[in-house]
Amino acid sequence: MATTAWPDRSITGDDAVERPVAAATGEPAQLERKLSSRTLNLVLLVALLLSIVLATAVGAVRLPLSQVLAALLHPARAGEAHEIIFGLRLPRVLAAALVGAALSATGVLFQGLFRNPLADPFVLGTSGGAALGGAVGIFLIPSLSFAGFGATAVLAFVGSVLTMILVWYLARAGGRFAMETLLLAGFAIGTMLNAATVVFELHEEASNSGLRVLAAWLHGQLGILTWSQVGLLAPLVGAAVLLALPVAGRLNTLALGEEYAAQLGVSVTRVRMATVVLGSLLTAAAVSLGGLIGFVGLLVPHFLRILIGPNHVRLLPAAALGGATFLILADTFARTAFAPTEIPVGVFTAFLGGPAFLYLLNHRTRESRQ
Amino acid sequence: MTSPVLEFRNVSFSRGPRLLLDRMSFAIEKQEMIALVGPNGVGKTTLLKLASRLLAPAAGEIRLEGKSLGAWSRRELPRAIALVPQELEIPFNFPVEEIVAQGRVPYQPLFGAGTELDRAAVEDAMQAVDIVGLRHRVYSELSGGERQRVKIAIGLAQQPKLMLLDEPTQHLDIGRQIELIALLRRLNQRGLTILAAVHDLSLVAANFASIILLTPEPSWMAGPAAEVLRPDLVARAFSVGQADLGRYFARPAPGAVAQA
Repeated sequence: MATTAWPDRSITGDDAVERPVAAATGEPAQLERKLSSRTLNLVLLVALLLSIVLATAVGAVRLPLSQVLAALLHPARAGEAHEIIFGLRLPRVLAAALVGAALSATGVLFQGLFRNPLADPFVLGTSGGAALGGAVGIFLIPSLSFAGFGATAVLAFVGSVLTMILVWYLARAGGRFAMETLLLAGFAIGTMLNAATVVFELHEEASNSGLRVLAAWLHGQLGILTWSQVGLLAPLVGAAVLLALPVAGRLNTLALGEEYAAQLGVSVTRVRMATVVLGSLLTAAAVSLGGLIGFVGLLVPHFLRILIGPNHVRLLPAAALGGATFLILADTFARTAFAPTEIPVGVFTAFLGGPAFLYLLNHRTRESRQ
Repeated sequence: MTSPVLEFRNVSFSRGPRLLLDRMSFAIEKQEMIALVGPNGVGKTTLLKLASRLLAPAAGEIRLEGKSLGAWSRRELPRAIALVPQELEIPFNFPVEEIVAQGRVPYQPLFGAGTELDRAAVEDAMQAVDIVGLRHRVYSELSGGERQRVKIAIGLAQQPKLMLLDEPTQHLDIGRQIELIALLRRLNQRGLTILAAVHDLSLVAANFASIILLTPEPSWMAGPAAEVLRPDLVARAFSVGQADLGRYFARPAPGAVAQA
């Protein structure tokens, strides 16, 4: 038997540093140079502004872009289009932006917390919990209201937080999150919500307007919105996203696992609490404006992760901007594509997000079976 | 006299009804390189978690550099001690560089980005374990040996005095095992104190001067390799016959080849 020459080289010597390991492996999975996040944020901001102008121009009465732009810059000189632009379209467009930003940012936060790209406020059932809380508010204490929200918004927040805590404890087994439990918890909450609405429908004193609000919520419809609603929620969403930025940095550490993060001096309990509170606040804001709009928090972060990588600090602001633009465009499409019939934007995002969700689920399940 | 880097004083720990550590005492001096040996489930990982305060002892005291472990602040502790865990799974496509940078978290305030010092520490850590070329690679796509080095790099970025490693050679082929032990020796020569749980007794006998042997009674023995790795002690600790040790292993018994 012929012996093959075997190069005798030390694998332990101090020359190890000079040995180009990466070159030897050929770097098959070398990431392409990621887009710088500053560039991306700038692009997303421009896209957001453009989509606001575009969405305000499009509708039953089509306005020229130049007229919309002029009106936005000098509201006093808007003339006869004033009512269409400032009374009808702009509040709705801005509401869509807020809801999209809130849902996408929440998606990033929950995905980091659960270490799972499938965690979305709709999938986890926290949107459902918020809607259920809100429904209780609409039907049981409708008299309590402030700027169009009142008890409804507060109860939506409570519903969102409670659902999140419930899902958390249900899904956590042995320090890890069982994906089945995570998804089933969301399913159970959704079913309970449907059942509860039937009860509300049978309730005789149930006001008609309450039912209409609830129906719009369930399908994720951005209807007629008032400036006071937008004005109240805009600072709330903005503040929550800003406050979430330092939390996002800790979510990067949490990617190493809760125990590892604790070992690195991170107070895991505090990060978890901050994430749940901020995420629930954002979810409640989104739900009280637009109801159950699914999969936005799943689609937008997933797409942006491909562009700029998974670092939560970079992902969060990009997701807020990208989510706002995405939902403005989605809502504009939903209200104009089949005019004069408006389809609820939640129905449209379900058509887009459902398949994406199934794709991700399949991908994840295969990965975990390996 | 300087205090030991790590000291266990009569430390006991139970998991449920089972006593894992019974009044255990030992001290690790600066720049020692010590192997933690014992059968599966005997409490090696538990001991490492106790030493890094992820678990609290039921009785007794653990001291790091003479200061009781409980007296260290949450952010000070990871600057002195780094635990390299057995398993590390990372979701999403985090590149190696960003993972190693997590070792700097104990040095960073909640607000504000990393400093020049942080970046330098991350570079040094990656250089020390020879993963500079892997910096943009996705962690979840790395081989076992590469992952092991990334994990050690996180620990090095913490710039600790003491590094605890849980089964660093597990799942590695013999070439990667040798590379890893050589790396640990280099780090040790540079001043790092090391306590590593290792299963392979021949690897231990040839590379670690001192050993802590945990046995299921529970009991323990700590001392120079030649004293601890005696065939009778090893046979008892692992619940096998002494004759089997010789029959099933190439060397008569690890203790016989141990050098002081």
